[in-house]
Amino acid sequence: MTIVVAVLQAILLVALAPLFSGITRKIRAKMHSRKGTGILQDYYDLAKLMRRSEVREGGSGLVSRLMPPIFLGCFILIAAGLPIVMLACPIPILGDMITILYLMALPRFMFALASIDSASSYTAIGGIRELLVGVLIEPSLILVLFVMAIAVGSTDVGFMSAAVANLQATPLVAVVVAGVAFAMACYIEMGKLPFDMAEAEQEIQEGPLAAYSGPSLAMLKLGVSLKQLVVASLLVCIFLPFGSASSLAPLDIFIGFVVYVAKVLAVFLIASVIENSVMRVRYKILDRYTWFVMGIASLSLVFLVIGI
Amino acid sequence: MLQFILFSLGLSCVTGVFSLITSKAHAVSKVIACVGGMGSAILGFAGGASALFLPATYGSWAGPMPFTDFTLLLNPLAGLIIAVIAALAFVAWLYGFSYFDEYYDKGIGVIGFFMNLFIASMYLVVLSDNAFWFLVFFELMSLTSYVLVIIDQTEKSLRGGFLYLIMAHIGFLMIALSFFAMASATGSLEFEAYRTFSFVPEIATVAFVLAFLGFGAKAGMVPFHSWLPQAHPAAPSNVSALMSGGMIKIGIFGICKVCFDLLGVGGPEISWGILVIVIGAISSVLGVVYALGEHDLKSLLAYHSVENIGIILLGVGVGIYGVAADLPWLAGIGLLAGLYHLVNHAMFKGLLFLGAGSVLHSTGTRNMEELGGLARLMPWTAVCFLMGSLAISAIPPLNGFVSEWFTYQGLIGGAMDGDILMRIVFAFAVICLAITGALAVTCFVKAFGVTFLAKPRSAAAEDAKEVPAPMVISMVLLTVVCVLLGLGAAWFAPLMSSVASTMLASPEVFVTEGAVLVSTDTFSVVSPLVLFVLMAIIIATCVLVRNVANRKAGMKNDPKPWACGYDPDLTMETLASTVGANVRNFMDPLYAIRQGVNRAGQWIACFVSKVLAGGKEQSIAAETIDSPPVSRYDADRSAGIAPAREQAPALSYSMLDIVRSIGTWFGKMESGDFRTYIVYIVGALIFFLALIILVR
Repeated sequence: MTIVVAVLQAILLVALAPLFSGITRKIRAKMHSRKGTGILQDYYDLAKLMRRSEVREGGSGLVSRLMPPIFLGCFILIAAGLPIVMLACPIPILGDMITILYLMALPRFMFALASIDSASSYTAIGGIRELLVGVLIEPSLILVLFVMAIAVGSTDVGFMSAAVANLQATPLVAVVVAGVAFAMACYIEMGKLPFDMAEAEQEIQEGPLAAYSGPSLAMLKLGVSLKQLVVASLLVCIFLPFGSASSLAPLDIFIGFVVYVAKVLAVFLIASVIENSVMRVRYKILDRYTWFVMGIASLSLVFLVIGI
Repeated sequence: MLQFILFSLGLSCVTGVFSLITSKAHAVSKVIACVGGMGSAILGFAGGASALFLPATYGSWAGPMPFTDFTLLLNPLAGLIIAVIAALAFVAWLYGFSYFDEYYDKGIGVIGFFMNLFIASMYLVVLSDNAFWFLVFFELMSLTSYVLVIIDQTEKSLRGGFLYLIMAHIGFLMIALSFFAMASATGSLEFEAYRTFSFVPEIATVAFVLAFLGFGAKAGMVPFHSWLPQAHPAAPSNVSALMSGGMIKIGIFGICKVCFDLLGVGGPEISWGILVIVIGAISSVLGVVYALGEHDLKSLLAYHSVENIGIILLGVGVGIYGVAADLPWLAGIGLLAGLYHLVNHAMFKGLLFLGAGSVLHSTGTRNMEELGGLARLMPWTAVCFLMGSLAISAIPPLNGFVSEWFTYQGLIGGAMDGDILMRIVFAFAVICLAITGALAVTCFVKAFGVTFLAKPRSAAAEDAKEVPAPMVISMVLLTVVCVLLGLGAAWFAPLMSSVASTMLASPEVFVTEGAVLVSTDTFSVVSPLVLFVLMAIIIATCVLVRNVANRKAGMKNDPKPWACGYDPDLTMETLASTVGANVRNFMDPLYAIRQGVNRAGQWIACFVSKVLAGGKEQSIAAETIDSPPVSRYDADRSAGIAPAREQAPALSYSMLDIVRSIGTWFGKMESGDFRTYIVYIVGALIFFLALIILVR
């Protein structure tokens, strides 16, 4: 039964990912006082790209060819394991926080390798920056998860979800501060302004997309939107699990789905509003922001240690 | 079984001697050395692996003097280390069939002799159960490997080798003092006497800290790491694999043996655990940060050994803390993580060094800036190197991930039960491990991407060919082992757990359930095998969908990458220094530490040299050596593209300087000839033994 939930939620996330990026684009257009495209535009884009012929660039080889499926596949796998509609991981072996973080490293690894593979300097700079954003944000993510693991007594994300939903995660202040730090870390991971503009190919951090075309590009675009959705879901399922199904009754599961979509939508709305009210900063001072996040994460550790 | 290993030792010695005798006939000598070495490795592996399942066996022979009884002990831990070294030795010899062709005119017989002796001495160190023989074989191991490091006879390798020799002896001295402390308390040089003696806590702490620092110097942990990136790359690549994969593990073995076995009655203390964890955490981060600054493929790998030793120490440290705090689950899981990572690191680091050796063999350079595009020309090497890179970056479902997962579970599980101090220590360690993981990904994207992807950047890289079959086979063997250790973790982890439990003399920790790895205290599970199956299904589906779409719409090739409308050229490609510069942007303080240490070291060196030699202050600039390359394997000095910044390992120049001033002091005695130093060492050994006897 839980396997069915896992498959369903993976399909749901893949199906919804373009919708969420469409909504983000619409909000941006509105905030720029533009009319903007419809919220379904991303689906049209993907459909069109799937019908286009593909151009293989430069000296690129097998790594470039394999990257889009691996990128998309890893995030589908993570999506299947998260406790997003129920208060436990539908597939327990995918629910460990370390497993999730290291599963996210594989797409990043391949993404950066593919960027070097195309022999173009623009793509490679993007790939390396993507890696370094990972380096800068990983310590904060792990520290928050470390605090949560100690607060609930398990490294399993499903346990964290259940404990927070039942208000059993103590000490409370530490958990709340950890939630704030995690939200900021997730925001950076989602690739939003002021750090990045994920959907703009000419942006350096997403540079590797420049070397792709046709179905591969479609797969990558879907993968990037799915990544944003997965990262937002991670925040929702650990720190905002309220309303998720506590039993396997079909009605509970259904309500869990609906509530989940509403929560993620809220996260995306807030993220979009923040994104459109800030300026782009230079990549080189990114570490000042991540240090700030790290500071808040450390604060949650301090609260945990002194027990408030 | 002990007999197998004794046969293996005998075979190694005979092979070594014959290979030396026939050294005039190069090919014959090589074949004798390799075949004999492989045979000896198979015997060694059989002996070591069987010891994992058998109770400990003793062998004892009376020595020439009362304190030199030749006692050997083969227990599961010793068996594990021997099996790992034997497995590496086997592939190293197999690899040598082709790789040693380059060494025909540099004394192939000498290599055959010393490499056999080196492997035999490693077995003997692990087996020895008597402080005297332990030190003798430890010394033999250092000397034989030193000869292998300087086999190229270039100034660079001599320099690296000399630094290695000094550091090995600083380590040796501390280990000898540690044994001396234990011997003075028990009045014996037999390990059996230490094992049953209840030491005063102060003596135990002194002995442990000395042994930790001494073995740590051998293992290459920070701050004793400076020799490693200079010495390991200088040796022939398969010897580098054996040193980085095997020899530095003897350091870890020594720490475990002293802590859990020799000082086992009194047991470790919590402070020891904290010391090991903190040093491990620092080693792991600094190792990978400095690796990122390298553009020499083998130096980069050597720095990564520092990182991985740090990760192993994290596991061992958790184990020590677990024993000290009387938390059996934690002790078991920590030690399991450390041992698992020890085995993993031996396998993937061996693989990566062999891969680097293949690149060197085909192109004659280790400078990544001049390579590029090798994936198409050397597909086997590329695939093996990629798998090794994924494994060392702890990407699931490969073996590096499994051991790091256990390490994380140990650190987090320890923090759950720990007090305020331990929570902070464990949080620090977890953060360091996370940074290390992310940086290792960056580093291996750089190592693999710059070397194997994009287009060739030099004539040497353009003309590269796939290496001969023996080299390919040995790399493939290690790749298969890496994959199996990852996917088969559920069957391998209980084995590690049983080794850990015999070492701790405690019940075995429960870690698996079917194909699933279980961490009971943190209520968590993972299964690399299931992960792999799920990943394979999903990714294969994605590939299928994409390829069907491609078939309908067609594919085109565009030979030129997009370069903003300019004509793309090779200088536009990503170089190792590109990555290095980007990392430096954020990690500059960590490099500044190295410079600071360097400067402090120079100052101390100047002071020492003034005192010792009364001599003039020497300016220690980063020396660039411009002697013409002696061998094809050493031709990488002519860097086509200047690196971002020449980075010298910390302490190295200061160490060199001390060495130099000592050299001046000794005047004529120092001839740069390693035999002179052997005399010193033997002298030191006799001095300490005499001291022990006198004190008794």
